[in-house]
Amino acid sequence: MDLATVIGLSLSLILVVGGIVAGGESSAFINLPSMLITIGGTMGAVIMANPVDRIKKLGKITRIAFFSQTPDLVSLVQTIVSFAEKARREGLLALEADASELDDEFLAKSIQLVVDGTDPELVKAILDTEISVLEERHSSNKGMFDTMGELFPAFGMLGTLIGLIAMLRNLDDPGSLGPGMAVALITTFYGSFMANIFALPISSKLAARSSEETVVRELMVEGVLAIQAGENPRIVEEKLKVFLPPEQRKELEERHDTEKGGEE
Amino acid sequence: MIEVSRLNGSMFILNADLIETVEANPDTVVTLLNGHRYVVKETPEEIVERAAAYRAKRGASPSLT
Repeated sequence: MDLATVIGLSLSLILVVGGIVAGGESSAFINLPSMLITIGGTMGAVIMANPVDRIKKLGKITRIAFFSQTPDLVSLVQTIVSFAEKARREGLLALEADASELDDEFLAKSIQLVVDGTDPELVKAILDTEISVLEERHSSNKGMFDTMGELFPAFGMLGTLIGLIAMLRNLDDPGSLGPGMAVALITTFYGSFMANIFALPISSKLAARSSEETVVRELMVEGVLAIQAGENPRIVEEKLKVFLPPEQRKELEERHDTEKGGEE
Repeated sequence: MIEVSRLNGSMFILNADLIETVEANPDTVVTLLNGHRYVVKETPEEIVERAAAYRAKRGASPSLT
């Protein structure tokens, strides 16, 4: 569960809706035709703008924004360093059994490449390509929400135009001007609401998750290449520490002290 | 040129004149002058032996400019 997404969304909803209710006349903000125009129109346009396969993943991608966790870089560094230690003790081939037990496919695959005797240049090329393909995929998934963020206000505007045209046809009744105008503007409100409370924040969250994952992958590549070059585990750890923010570096050192009691 | 084998057993020919370092940790890593690294099955001693044998066979020392 991604607390930040849930708390943020709840906060926006509660405060915005609270503001509407506190202002009185909250029933004026509910209008089914306007919702259909804004939400229906946007969804249709998003479906039109993307390939079918990506649309099918929309629910899954939304779940990522709500349920993903920040990866634990410290444990990852420890795992890779323990691999480096094992490789120094028993040779690269000893890693094969461990690699198959890993949860992370990418790391398992990279270790497997090394064990298979692939040349380091080639290992790096393969893994770098994999990372760039991953980034590409993430950015196109995030792109769906960017598209939504653009289209919601646009369809809001469209609905408002529809409302205004309907209103202007009945100008002979000056009394209906105000209410007509109000209904017309509701779609703009819905569009702005959906774009800024839902679509754009989710897009930003996905971008953040994507960059986190890229860092994780780059850390793995760096680590695996260091293991393949037979570098000293201490050096491997120093190399990987670069990827950690300062507070996590401290955490890594603390875990060392508790585990090893100052060995080496 | 010396014949060496990768961890998966496939053989390839390495230009012995370009070898910069050979380390055992514990897999043998051969680093070339151009920075390329190769992990090979042979022990460092075997590599040195083969390189020396190759040079002896060839005679002249390489002209590295």
